[in-house]
Amino acid sequence: MAADTALAADHSPKSSAPRLLPRLGWTALRVLTPVGSVLALWYLAIWFSGLPAFVIPKPERVLEVLWVDRAFIGLNLLYTLRVAVIGFVWANVAGIGLAVLFDLLPPTRHMLMPAAITLRNVPYIALISVLMLAFGDSILSKTTIVALAGFFPVLVNTMQGLHAADEVQLDRMRILNASWWQTFSQVRLIYAIPSIVAAQEITGSSSIIVAIAAEWMISSTGLGYVINHAMQNYRGDQVYAVALVATGLSFLIYSLVHALGRRLDWRAGDPRRG
Amino acid sequence: MAAISIRNVSRQFGDNWALRPVDLEIASGEFVALIGPSGCGKTTLLRIVADLQEPSSGEVRIGADSAAEARRKRLLGLVSQRPAVLPWKRAIDDVRFTQKIAGRVGFDPARILREFGLAGHEAKRARQLSGGMLQRVNIASAMAHDPSVLLMDEPFAALDEMKREEIGAWFDRELTVRPKTVLFVTHHIDEAVMLANRLVVFSPAPGRVLKIVTVPIPRPRDAAFRQDPRFVAIAAHVRDLLMVRAEAA
Repeated sequence: MAADTALAADHSPKSSAPRLLPRLGWTALRVLTPVGSVLALWYLAIWFSGLPAFVIPKPERVLEVLWVDRAFIGLNLLYTLRVAVIGFVWANVAGIGLAVLFDLLPPTRHMLMPAAITLRNVPYIALISVLMLAFGDSILSKTTIVALAGFFPVLVNTMQGLHAADEVQLDRMRILNASWWQTFSQVRLIYAIPSIVAAQEITGSSSIIVAIAAEWMISSTGLGYVINHAMQNYRGDQVYAVALVATGLSFLIYSLVHALGRRLDWRAGDPRRG
Repeated sequence: MAAISIRNVSRQFGDNWALRPVDLEIASGEFVALIGPSGCGKTTLLRIVADLQEPSSGEVRIGADSAAEARRKRLLGLVSQRPAVLPWKRAIDDVRFTQKIAGRVGFDPARILREFGLAGHEAKRARQLSGGMLQRVNIASAMAHDPSVLLMDEPFAALDEMKREEIGAWFDRELTVRPKTVLFVTHHIDEAVMLANRLVVFSPAPGRVLKIVTVPIPRPRDAAFRQDPRFVAIAAHVRDLLMVRAEAA
């Protein structure tokens, strides 16, 4: 009995602390390694390139600009975020909607897919120019360009995912005389989730980049405009600050979509996935 | 009236015959095994009966209905070699899923899983079950809406020899509790002789029926039947039929 108690007392503290410390250490290493590498490369570039500070400012200067101009950058960040989110939603409505339509009515794929491919291959700069002429500097023109850039990966991945359903499952649904909706909602869509999530990871983070590019060309608001404004005033430090914010935001969106996707993925928890 | 009536059913892909015309009448409650070498058209015939594939000629009747009508009335159950158990569902939910889609509760899901030797495993998902257990869930799901005809495409092929014999014996006993007309595709001669009332022996591709061999022993049969001289003689006869044709081909 005494021996049992001693064993229990010996085990309980050991089981949590030694496991927690390596985990914390590992997490810190995963965060610090890329940050440290980027900083090291940055300083090396400053020292070896000999470029002036307005072309390649020091990291501490960029952080200072971020703090000093936080209201200005923050406000424009909200504008960009609004364009990116609305465009992202439209990209999903169009991409997933078309993929579902193609699954429901296969002939529509032959009718509409060439148009989708053509739209995908029109240079974005030309599209932005046309949208600018049509709608001016409006949220419609910017969200349209984000949606056009994002819908194709969503469409292709969703189509691929909807065709990834196991044939034996589809035979089972056919033998049970399941409706299109039952087969779609209970089998095809669930098999498609990993592909749809992969598309969101691409489109979600790239929406920010495309929104900034559209703002850079045609807008008087948003992070793209801030970059434009900074360039005209030789404020390289501000350009870097915006780039830092945009990169962080894209990374955050990617991480959120990835985490959400893991929760939705029916394969989650399968040890064979590694 | 025959439970399954196959009349002059054939299947061609272009100029190639996948299945030469077949005629076969299967009585209600009968267990018929389709046996032959790979590519002889056994699975094609099963899929035509299941209305998953169109025949090039002939027709299939399930009782008074065409194959398409029987499928629409959910009179058919399909067991494939790879289990069709949905990987994100628990075993009991997968059985319920069949009933929900079919709109018919044939058996109590918990009871059928218990009777299939899966008590205590109802809440497990496919990845948590062994191959034998998973195939039992697959069969339970296929039977959950109480179809009158069960179509089985090499259902035990992925199992090892011991497990195959064990689950085959179990399935034969289950059919005495829940009688079904069974059309069973297999490569395995001993399995077919052990389970079936009749064996339909196919020639190598393009498949045609070589002979229909009757196993005149009542089912279910116990393991001792494997040592019975009649079992040995029938298995040897089927083996000879397949070997001679394979060599001739």
